[in-house]
Amino acid sequence: MKRLINIVVNGEPHEVAVNPEQTLLEILREELGLTGTKKGCDQGECGACTVLVDGKPVSSCLVLAVSVNGKSIATIEGLSQNGRLHPLQEAFVQHGAIQCGFCTPGMLLAAKYLLENRPLPSEQEIKEAIAGNICRCTGYVKIIEAITAVAHSTAQ
Amino acid sequence: MSKYAVVGEGLPRIDGPEKATGQAKFTVDIKLPGMLYGKILRSPYPHARIISIDTSAAEALPGVKAVITGKDIGEVRYAFVDTPRYPADERPLAIDKVRYIGDEVAAVAAVSEAVAEEALGLIKVEYEVLPAVFTPEEAIKPTAAVIHENSLEGTSAWEEWGAAGRSHDYRAEVDIDNASARSAISFGDVEEGFRQADHIREDSFDAAATAHCALEPHAAVASYDPVNGKLDLWLSTMGIFLKRFVLSKALKMPISKVRVRHSYVGGAFGGKIDVFPYEFCAAYLSMKLGRPVKIELDREEVFTTTRQRHPISIKIKTGIKKDGTIVAQDIKLYADNGGYRGSGAIVVFLCHGFSFPVYNIPNYRYEGIAVYTNNPIRGPQRGHGAPQVRFAIDSQLDMIARELGLDPVEVMLKNVRHKGDVLPNGDKLNSCGLSDAIRGAAQGVNWTVGRSQLNKGEDCAKGSGRDGARFRRGVGMSLCSMFSGAMYYPFASAAMIKLHDDGSATLFTGSQELGQGIYTTLGQVAAEELGIGLDDIRVVAGDTEITPIDLGSFLSGGALVTGNAVKLAAADARRQLLEVAAEILEVKVEDLNYRNKQIFVKGNLDKSISYAKAIQGSVFRKNGNPIIGTGSYKGNPETDRYPSLAKAKGLFTSAYGFCAQAVEVEVDTLTGKVKVLKASTFHDCGFPLNKTIVEGQVEGCVSMGMGQALSEEIVLEKGQLFNASFLNYRLPIATDTPETKDGLVDSLEPNGPFGAKEVGEGAVAGMLAAVANAVNDAVGVRIYSTPITPDKVLSALQG
Amino acid sequence: MHLPKFEYLEPGETSEVVSILGKYRGQCSIIAGGTDLLVAMKQRRQTPKYVISLAKVSELKQIREEAGMISIGPLATLEEVVASGPIQKKLPVLAQAAWEVGSPLLRTVATIGGNLCLDTRCRFYNQSEFWRGARPDCFKAGGVICHVTNKENTCYSTFSGDIAPALIALNAQIQLIGDGDERWLPLARFYTGVGRIPNLLAAGDNEVLTEIKVPLPADGTKGLYRKYRFRESIDFPLVGLAAILRVDPDDGICQEACLVFSGVGSRPVQAAEAENKLIGKRLNEDIIAAAAETAAGEVHPVKTDRVNPQFKKKIVKAMVREAFTELGGVKS
Repeated sequence: MKRLINIVVNGEPHEVAVNPEQTLLEILREELGLTGTKKGCDQGECGACTVLVDGKPVSSCLVLAVSVNGKSIATIEGLSQNGRLHPLQEAFVQHGAIQCGFCTPGMLLAAKYLLENRPLPSEQEIKEAIAGNICRCTGYVKIIEAITAVAHSTAQ
Repeated sequence: MSKYAVVGEGLPRIDGPEKATGQAKFTVDIKLPGMLYGKILRSPYPHARIISIDTSAAEALPGVKAVITGKDIGEVRYAFVDTPRYPADERPLAIDKVRYIGDEVAAVAAVSEAVAEEALGLIKVEYEVLPAVFTPEEAIKPTAAVIHENSLEGTSAWEEWGAAGRSHDYRAEVDIDNASARSAISFGDVEEGFRQADHIREDSFDAAATAHCALEPHAAVASYDPVNGKLDLWLSTMGIFLKRFVLSKALKMPISKVRVRHSYVGGAFGGKIDVFPYEFCAAYLSMKLGRPVKIELDREEVFTTTRQRHPISIKIKTGIKKDGTIVAQDIKLYADNGGYRGSGAIVVFLCHGFSFPVYNIPNYRYEGIAVYTNNPIRGPQRGHGAPQVRFAIDSQLDMIARELGLDPVEVMLKNVRHKGDVLPNGDKLNSCGLSDAIRGAAQGVNWTVGRSQLNKGEDCAKGSGRDGARFRRGVGMSLCSMFSGAMYYPFASAAMIKLHDDGSATLFTGSQELGQGIYTTLGQVAAEELGIGLDDIRVVAGDTEITPIDLGSFLSGGALVTGNAVKLAAADARRQLLEVAAEILEVKVEDLNYRNKQIFVKGNLDKSISYAKAIQGSVFRKNGNPIIGTGSYKGNPETDRYPSLAKAKGLFTSAYGFCAQAVEVEVDTLTGKVKVLKASTFHDCGFPLNKTIVEGQVEGCVSMGMGQALSEEIVLEKGQLFNASFLNYRLPIATDTPETKDGLVDSLEPNGPFGAKEVGEGAVAGMLAAVANAVNDAVGVRIYSTPITPDKVLSALQG
Repeated sequence: MHLPKFEYLEPGETSEVVSILGKYRGQCSIIAGGTDLLVAMKQRRQTPKYVISLAKVSELKQIREEAGMISIGPLATLEEVVASGPIQKKLPVLAQAAWEVGSPLLRTVATIGGNLCLDTRCRFYNQSEFWRGARPDCFKAGGVICHVTNKENTCYSTFSGDIAPALIALNAQIQLIGDGDERWLPLARFYTGVGRIPNLLAAGDNEVLTEIKVPLPADGTKGLYRKYRFRESIDFPLVGLAAILRVDPDDGICQEACLVFSGVGSRPVQAAEAENKLIGKRLNEDIIAAAAETAAGEVHPVKTDRVNPQFKKKIVKAMVREAFTELGGVKS
């Protein structure tokens, strides 16, 4: 049986009718058309579906949509503001941290959470913060570089 | 300072912002009005005869629109290799037999994926389970179950491309019913070579099956327009024209009625070249129902049914002089291509073709046999045969060098080929930076110091911490080479450049962006040649209806083949632009120069015209011609034919990329765990068209190669895949990232655009032996099979 | 793979949870973070008719320090456990163990109670419905045979939680509330050792885990949690080890030693004999080596994952050596 949930997605309130068996990922992609959140494995093992729920990064394929009623969700579509890329987005583009782009949305949100909580992380802390987000293209080198660059520029 | 304005620079990629904001549409993101969702029913048995299929209960499920089986489709066959010698052996849906766990049996289209999934459970299939074989060793026994009994009739795709129709049964060459392909070649006199050798070693190596792990799961969206008889497709693809060719033939459609349209591809690594049954089924169901149909595979299906790297067993015998000169090498290998041939016929050719340019070995014999088993199908994967065979060759060479008391790096330097060398098949190395690459990579890991600090060879053999040190470090190196395009359908790339009134340009290319940065790289080539900025270029790509043909992003031909086509198209447009400018300015073309979208008369800077004005002028003066430049380039301009797979004869490619890869590892002698601390790859890609993108390709290859060296492995028992998930298939994560010290060797390939050739594929292949050699350097044990897991290392250490 | 259909219930009180469990006995699953359960449901290893969320039961979430104790609500996420000041300060072993679970994306959602209730795992069982369809159901999945051992009516699936070894080593007690009764028991007794039904709640009776209490360790107690796995994140432990050591500061004699493993049996395994090799001794390299050897003999892993059991025993040995060398400050 469907039930109504109220969620705020990228600052905008939504009322969505969901079945209990629908995941947050399914709702975002299929009901709200926010396809920037990707399904890579559907089992919480790759991080492509990372979104922020009340500010914290989660694998949205392992979150029931009914369970986020009343919560605030940030997806990749909400990261840039007024047509301006977020510094992390800008750094990913400039440093070559994006190749196929399929892990990018989740990676960016995981990185955002890291820098909000640890503005000047060590390289090891960066690696640990994105350890749940798999990237096959880059070998992570330029992703780590990009996050480091943002941390340093913000710190200055 | 670079002599170029646009190429060579590490400009940010043009698809970056789209991808960083989640706006980029991948195939899995395509949603069309009225779209239905398909799912595939697959065989749970590795080898079985289908007795009956009852689809009635599935068809009766509300929401199900169609259920199809092999019988509905009829006689349709296709395959990656479809030649008179190797006729296509795959069907979209099985008719008589299933040959591996995951083999496609039926397909459902329904109003939602969930309903389609439920319907699969209602299809009743009765099987007669047959004896099965799971290793080449079992498969080649005379008593083994035969996996493909029938010889297959019909005209092969390659005959349509002009291949000779001559056919003979290759199985007779080896007298193995389950053989699927064989390549054999020799040059020099191998027996004589071994007689000349001072030292001979014979070893066996095994390289594991591995998975591509592109993050985007495979997907297809098909939309058939019954009114016009046209089929639109969005596919997970690496070459839109190859997919169009194979699918239109299988669907019995005129090629011009099938259109592969653009969507981004979320990684490929070779795993999205082949045509897959789910693609055919999506198209077939859409045509049957007159509605769009999407089929997206789940991660387990991607692991199980979209090809893997071939596990290969390699016997290698090498003869060498005291001074380290290799005089003879004899390689025999078996590749397990699974239940269907897949790319079996190609991999046994490429194990030779991708490897023999590295060392100059005067006396050489090679035989590669691909065999059917009841394992999942194997196909191309980044390096396609090279990682496996380079693992064997360079592991063994490291052992030989140590036995002779020589530095492996010196032995490599002594034997590598050089610029100007002509390979036994006739390919000429117009560029080859191997020696420089070796020196660079050696320095990257501090080779001499690294080795001298460490307990060498026999000193530490079997000594788990004899000196008390739990963690021990070592360095290792390996080399590899790679084509830069080859003659494969559609045999050439073409490009088109359209100039606009504001002096900007649109590039039309049939190439497909899958992460490798081809749109940006080609845009830079066009911009450089036209004398405009990358910002002034828009790239329209990946659409068979709009863009000219393209070789596709495999065989590493993107930079060289398509790059040349784009460069020629841009040069053509520039020629036309300068001609009209000369006419307007009333000077000769030779008197003109251009910069920043402005054309000048040499020596008279006041006399000039903007690109915009010249382009507009062309419309009036040239009977409406707005300037469209075209260019094309063959897969290999020096030949009209693809090489013989069986005998490895004919020219292969017009340029080889090379690299040297060195690593420093740390081995935990208590747990057997190996960590790559430093990785240094020096890649000779001729010239980096975009430095950042080239570096990114190398870094991606290194990571993949490191994973395949240490932890990645398709685990099968009786044909069943035990680790079809990112949890259990252990590809590298961020914390595995080593310190990288990469470099590029600019060898300036004369055949390449601005000197560019392959990058993006080769640098997986050297990582396996580099790691194996470094482990040996660190703790004195030799691991003969990949992946080099802690349990293998610990067992070897503890004897 | 989509989730199967179910009814979602969100009671607000523990008592309500208990009464729902009683009402729909055997047809319910409790969901906390859901990271273990939802995968099981996608793979159709579990298909409960009712999924009872604990999200609205607010009292289950708190972490607080009491007299000589730290009380942890089972619904505290692993990230909250890692970040908790009292836990970091007084129970660093637990903080380390929580940090090692899954990946950062799971720790924001997965709970400490969920990790204690983690189902046992096996390479034949933790697979999709399609995959399992290739052979008869195993004993854990409702069939007869164990595919690992080819024996009937047994299950050797492996407990792979990281939290339990740490909490057992810390002498944690847990509270279970059932229909009209509540009980406290040592966490070690929560585990049955039966692969098929690995803990007291797995049978789906009408009890619910409501609180975890950890006594503060005596002064001078040192501890650590180490997780051996191929990758530093995502992976379950091949072997997990929680180790506790307390040495008399005056004479250097080991007063207390505790070793609890994950990944080597159907329950968390405490190596009591190895502990005895340490207690009462002044630790040195040989004593530790002997304890390590003994510990390896006390674990009996079976091949439920990719590595072979002999290798796991070697790892156990290596980990014990490493752990007590470090804790004891012994020079190697």
